[in-house]
Amino acid sequence: MLPLRVRLRILLRLPLLQASWNYERMQSLGVLYVLYPALRFIYRDEDLVLACRRHLEYFNSHPFMAGPILGTTLALEEERSLHAEGSLDVGEFKGMIMAPFAAMGDAFFWGGLRPLSAALALLLAAAGFWWAPLAFLLLFNLPHGWALIAGLHGGYRYGPGMIERVQRYRLPDLAVRCKEGTALLLGALSAVLVADTLRGAEAATAWGPCALLPVLLLGGLARLGVSTLILILLMSAALLVFFG
Amino acid sequence: MAWSLDYLYAGLVSLLVGLDRTAVLQLLISRPIVAAPLTGWVLGDFPLGLQAGTLLELLWLGRLPVGAAIPPDDTQIAVGGTALALVMGAQAGAEGLPMLLLCLLVALPLGKCGQIFDHLARKGNGRLLIRAEQELTWQRPAAATRFHLLGLGFFALASLGTYLGIILSGSLLLPWLAPYLLAKVGDAAPWLALAFPLVGTAVFLGALRNRRILVLYLLAFLLVYFLREGF
Repeated sequence: MLPLRVRLRILLRLPLLQASWNYERMQSLGVLYVLYPALRFIYRDEDLVLACRRHLEYFNSHPFMAGPILGTTLALEEERSLHAEGSLDVGEFKGMIMAPFAAMGDAFFWGGLRPLSAALALLLAAAGFWWAPLAFLLLFNLPHGWALIAGLHGGYRYGPGMIERVQRYRLPDLAVRCKEGTALLLGALSAVLVADTLRGAEAATAWGPCALLPVLLLGGLARLGVSTLILILLMSAALLVFFG
Repeated sequence: MAWSLDYLYAGLVSLLVGLDRTAVLQLLISRPIVAAPLTGWVLGDFPLGLQAGTLLELLWLGRLPVGAAIPPDDTQIAVGGTALALVMGAQAGAEGLPMLLLCLLVALPLGKCGQIFDHLARKGNGRLLIRAEQELTWQRPAAATRFHLLGLGFFALASLGTYLGIILSGSLLLPWLAPYLLAKVGDAAPWLALAFPLVGTAVFLGALRNRRILVLYLLAFLLVYFLREGF
């Protein structure tokens, strides 16, 4: 069993996984950096170099989902060092699991939780709460921190059984719920901003729902591939010509 | 020369939040809703920074930093735009929302250079991988892992490069543009301030391509709007 100080060193290195992200093998050097304290504990001399080579192979997953993957990798490396029969090959395991875990992490953390946290923070800021950025950080980083710490610990403890445990959380379904929540919050935010702007301009409030038309039109243009930069610059130019 | 110190402090913020973008932690202090208020707070105007963050946050929220995809550098747009608004606004005696909007409109296209610098940083990291492999060939695994940390230097340079690009170009363009555009931006300021989040929302909803989510957005808008304004 790896001592607690070695596991703590790995946990502290985990947030640096992407420090040397590159096009050739993406996070591979990061994986070696994170796992090195454990590899040095488990192996010596030539075996250590071979283990390092094994982890310098292509690796790319969601950085927050690397906790369970690398935790399980540690358990498998320990098994391997004991020459346990029937143990899963480490490289095979990483290659098999990195893409599905990346898809789950991208959908939940980037596609679901990040927009939800941002929409809530923007609504708080629109209501005049100065601590909106702190709320954003807290809402996003509680699950983030949990995924890193509990993921690494759980992966090491349960080995490949960790995959089933992660699946139980149904992250893709949670991501869909987060997106629906984001849509509701953005609807409320847009309504508040439109109402405040119309009131400031002393315009009739009946015009408010008309703001939905440019939103739908711009959304359609974005779907056709028009870039955000072009859309905001064109919209700003039009407003400057009309109101300026 | 207080302005140069202000740019230096904002540069330190750009370095800190720039590293959070990909290389370290990813706590999301790199998002405009955090990076811009942080810059504002360091330079002495937190509310203006918060305003910059709320304007920019939604624009590229739907662009996922997945695999080799590099979204436009909204982090440095937030830091650079806020710093320009505060420093150049104080020099020109034109502070507040109109100056902020003008600075952001100037900084937005310059954020594209962030993608180029980020791409170069990732190419540079590829050379570190080759050096690490050489160290393993020479049976020096500890030395191999040290090359990983050098990647932080490339990402830091990419962040600073983008920040300097925005500050230098903005400092050249704004004195020339402000006399013509500042009054017009001032007249259109409330509508421009509304356009930023609405464009961001539209792009976010458009990228999802989900009718159910669009219906939820429309219902929430109408419900909240009529509850506030009366039927």
